[in-house]
Amino acid sequence: MFTIPVITAADFGPLIPAILLLVGAIIVLLSEVFLSTASRSYQSVITALFGTAAAVIAVGAVGEAPRKVFLGFAVSDSFSSLITAVICVGLVLAALVARGYLHDRHSERGEFYALMMFGAAGMSLLSVSNELITLFINLEVLSIATYALTAYLRRGARSTEAGFKYFILGAFSSAILLYGAALLYGATGTTHLSEMAGPLAEAFQSSRALVYAGVFLVGTGLAFKVAAVPFHMWTPDVYEGAPTPVTAFMSAGVKAAAFAALVRVFLSFSPGMPDAPLLELFATLSLLTMIVGNLLAIPQRNVKRMLAYSSIAHAGYVLAGVAALFATGAGEAGFRVIGSMEMHNAANAAVRSDALKGILFYLLAYTVTGVGAFGLISALERREDEDRGTAWDLERFAGLAQRKPGWALAMAVFMLSLGGIPPTIGFIGKLYIFRAAIDAGMTGLVVVGVLTSAASVYFYLRVVVYMYMRPAADGAVTHNTHWSTETALVLSTAAVVILGVLPGPVTGWLAMGGSLFGQ
Amino acid sequence: MSFFDSHLTSLVIFLPLLFAALLAFLPNAERGQLRTVTLIGMLLDLVLAAWMYLKFEPAGAEFQHEYRVRWLDDFGISYHVGVDGLAVSLILLTAVLGPLVVMASWSFVQERTKEFHIALLVLQVAMLGALSSLDVVLFYVFWEAMLIPMYLLIGVWGSEERQMAAMKFFLYTLAGSLLMLVAIIALYLIAQPSGSRSFDYATIYNALVGANRELSACMAAGASSPLCTNLSPMALTLKSWGPWMFAAFALAFAIKVPMFPVHTWLPDAHVQAPVAGSIILAGVMLKMGTFGFWRFAIPLFPSVAREARPLLAALSVIGIVYGALMCLAQRDIKKLIAYSSVSHLGYCMLGIMAMTLEGASGSAYQMLNHGVSTGALFLLFGMLYERRHTRLMSDYGGIASVMPVFAVAFVVITFSSIAVPGTNGFIGEFLVLLGTFKSSLWTGFGVLATTGVILGAAYMLWMVQRVFFGQLTHRENAHLTDMNWREMATVAPFLVLVLVMGLMPQPFLDRLNPAADRFVDRFNVGARDSRITDAEVRMVVAQLPPRAAQPLPGAPRPLGLGNVQPVPLSAPLRPAAPAPAAPVADPHAGHNH
Repeated sequence: MFTIPVITAADFGPLIPAILLLVGAIIVLLSEVFLSTASRSYQSVITALFGTAAAVIAVGAVGEAPRKVFLGFAVSDSFSSLITAVICVGLVLAALVARGYLHDRHSERGEFYALMMFGAAGMSLLSVSNELITLFINLEVLSIATYALTAYLRRGARSTEAGFKYFILGAFSSAILLYGAALLYGATGTTHLSEMAGPLAEAFQSSRALVYAGVFLVGTGLAFKVAAVPFHMWTPDVYEGAPTPVTAFMSAGVKAAAFAALVRVFLSFSPGMPDAPLLELFATLSLLTMIVGNLLAIPQRNVKRMLAYSSIAHAGYVLAGVAALFATGAGEAGFRVIGSMEMHNAANAAVRSDALKGILFYLLAYTVTGVGAFGLISALERREDEDRGTAWDLERFAGLAQRKPGWALAMAVFMLSLGGIPPTIGFIGKLYIFRAAIDAGMTGLVVVGVLTSAASVYFYLRVVVYMYMRPAADGAVTHNTHWSTETALVLSTAAVVILGVLPGPVTGWLAMGGSLFGQ
Repeated sequence: MSFFDSHLTSLVIFLPLLFAALLAFLPNAERGQLRTVTLIGMLLDLVLAAWMYLKFEPAGAEFQHEYRVRWLDDFGISYHVGVDGLAVSLILLTAVLGPLVVMASWSFVQERTKEFHIALLVLQVAMLGALSSLDVVLFYVFWEAMLIPMYLLIGVWGSEERQMAAMKFFLYTLAGSLLMLVAIIALYLIAQPSGSRSFDYATIYNALVGANRELSACMAAGASSPLCTNLSPMALTLKSWGPWMFAAFALAFAIKVPMFPVHTWLPDAHVQAPVAGSIILAGVMLKMGTFGFWRFAIPLFPSVAREARPLLAALSVIGIVYGALMCLAQRDIKKLIAYSSVSHLGYCMLGIMAMTLEGASGSAYQMLNHGVSTGALFLLFGMLYERRHTRLMSDYGGIASVMPVFAVAFVVITFSSIAVPGTNGFIGEFLVLLGTFKSSLWTGFGVLATTGVILGAAYMLWMVQRVFFGQLTHRENAHLTDMNWREMATVAPFLVLVLVMGLMPQPFLDRLNPAADRFVDRFNVGARDSRITDAEVRMVVAQLPPRAAQPLPGAPRPLGLGNVQPVPLSAPLRPAAPAPAAPVADPHAGHNH
């Protein structure tokens, strides 16, 4: 007999940030209809306010006991709250940067900010999704918003090309994910992640190939979204072609949300199948991503493209943290590819909790640094250079220290943080990730990570070289300054430095609540 | 203990940062003002450092002027600073060089003066911080932070090939130190069980003492002895992973020293750096490498260090002889001084590797000497370069006849550099060689190192002769002016130090000897015929202040915005946590040689 499900008000609690973002998006859309002012700069302010409110509410929910809502279709835990907070930080910074950027191009429209907020709502919902179909739908919500945002400057060829490329490949990866989900449903008879473990263990005995196929296809679909090598091909073109504030938002938000989904899906598979293949899968992905991302960034003279490759590389470091989640009985036989180390290993739960903290902190670190760096690029680029493709050339940074000392300092701080040099937030992030990975026995992986990040300092420092050590090109350009962009830059620079020296508040949130993660 | 006493070390470290912040608000065009403010900051810092040096009790506790507060509790990282005899001496050296460097660049740096002085001050903070950190991660943070201002000093204010040299310097050092970071994390995971882990230097050391003794005893007895079959789990872990961790630490420090095969960044960096950069690089930053061996690499892994000792000693001797031979082949004066640094730092490393009291304290003394004499050489050559803008020896000749005062100063410093008795260099090199001959190292090392002394005299005197004496060969040189008052005031402290440290070494050695003594004891724990007990070498440091009252993690909290600010760590936890390192009587503190 079919019973009508009971949904109470409490079920909506975890969704408040997403609901706020949706309300904000609708307000922006309606204001477009009912207000006829010439300037639309208030829209970015509305976006920033709603984003801030959502972030504050999400952080306020940190530390609550994990609970299932909506009949188990969604789950609320500290992990999802913190991911939502990270997404909102990215949204606020990107919206502030976008105001000046769109103003200079005479293309401020309500749909831009509405799409950003719809996308952010999708990301927030993705982080609470606890069922494969829900997960897929939210992934599509965020993806479609970002496809449209990528092609937003539809007059230029680049933006359109990037949007189309992103759409084709994104749709393809979603289909792969869906295919994997279907196979897993076939194997287990459920799409609820929290009920997956038991049937998965049975299916693993009877039809192992089916399980593996499903797991790897789901993994592939999500690896596309986080831009892990070898599923990274779309990233440089899309990141370069998209309007720069959108790139900033994508590099932070989409990545954080996709990692949230990845962690949630695979942690719920983990009790039903041996951890070794998962560990090996993610360790290999991490290894490839770190190496390829950093190596391909070295020859880039286009700073925006360099940052795109760098964002691939940073996904590799986060993946090392993801791999550490599955290191049960680290140092045991069966896993020698990446090297292992015997020591009094922390209990499995402790490693897992450290790895989750590391992933969250790293995502936050990358968000404030990456959005700041892309924001600075967007402040620096000029409309007329874009078609020639020289808007992001290293030469644009020559002599910036004399023309714009504040911007140069901010960019230098971002570059050092991306390179993981103390005392910046990037260093603390790397410390978190590497600690979890070494504790999980993956010393070899960490050594590779450390060496690649030493190599990466070369191309990050090259920007500093141009800013501080090269004279400005002739006919130095004047730059339009906007209070909103400056605010975003000041905020992110301050966050990078202050949280690099005193990460207290954030580590406090991470330490609160016994279990970060709930099923 | 007063607020001033408990915060003295932090004040010494961060006072320059305060002045850097002050500088940021001064107008760019007021160069004189910028220089004066920087000079005042450096001088105040020197006063504080000298006060700290004088207050340091040679016979007292190992670490003095300690201060410890909670910082990153989640990792077990605390803000823990304090100094031992070696650190306090190197801090004094750094603080002495600070004002002199500002005076040396008084007329040299005309472009971007403000940024230059901010970089100098920030560099000072990082170096002082690295020398006084008693938490491994804190040390690492300062260690890496040194790179950025130095990179800018070379890259922005250097000469023609500066960008390549700056990049080479940065990447070389970074690659080494990142591997050290892996070793640091691994050490942290090994030393303590989950839950009580700490990055505190003394905590890690004390946790490893027992295992290190077992390993050293096992090595002394041979692989088949029962001592090797009943190793504790920690000793087993250290046995398999210790060599790798030691290698990572040693590589990072060897690059900084620089030791023989990884020295190639140094000549480039020195040649391209501005005078101030060269002085600091030679004077302080190279010592960070030897200091690192002394503080971290060897005490934490004594058994591995014992195995690697012949190799490291051989590399040091190769560095001594190779550096000296390279000097003989140079036509570029700055490059010559740079290679002479490779040679001199070889003595410092050899003295450490001798593992005798004489060797270790000689090495420490040589670190101070090299800072004074090579710093002064770079300073003096900088004055010459400012006048003639050439680094080639062949462009000079007979300079003594036009710049007599300058020539006298240069010759005195040269004597110090080649260890003429009566100058400071003599004491250091003599102790190092004495320690090497007395040690269990192969005698050939001592003999070869002694030839380095002779070669050193040869290349320095040869250079002095070609530059200063003989006929005035170039007409451009006829109108060079001698040193002005500012330049004399800059050089005078170096000359005084050369003579004072050469004639009255005892006050300096008093502070170095207990540190050297402990260093040698820590190396010898568990070695054959050694009767040193674990308790004797354990480190006594301040404990963490008690945690401020806060709700238990996971305690139910009502939802609301009021809870957004969690308690832990965001604010400085305790206003003035005392660092009550009760001076525990150390049985070894007294007997100096």
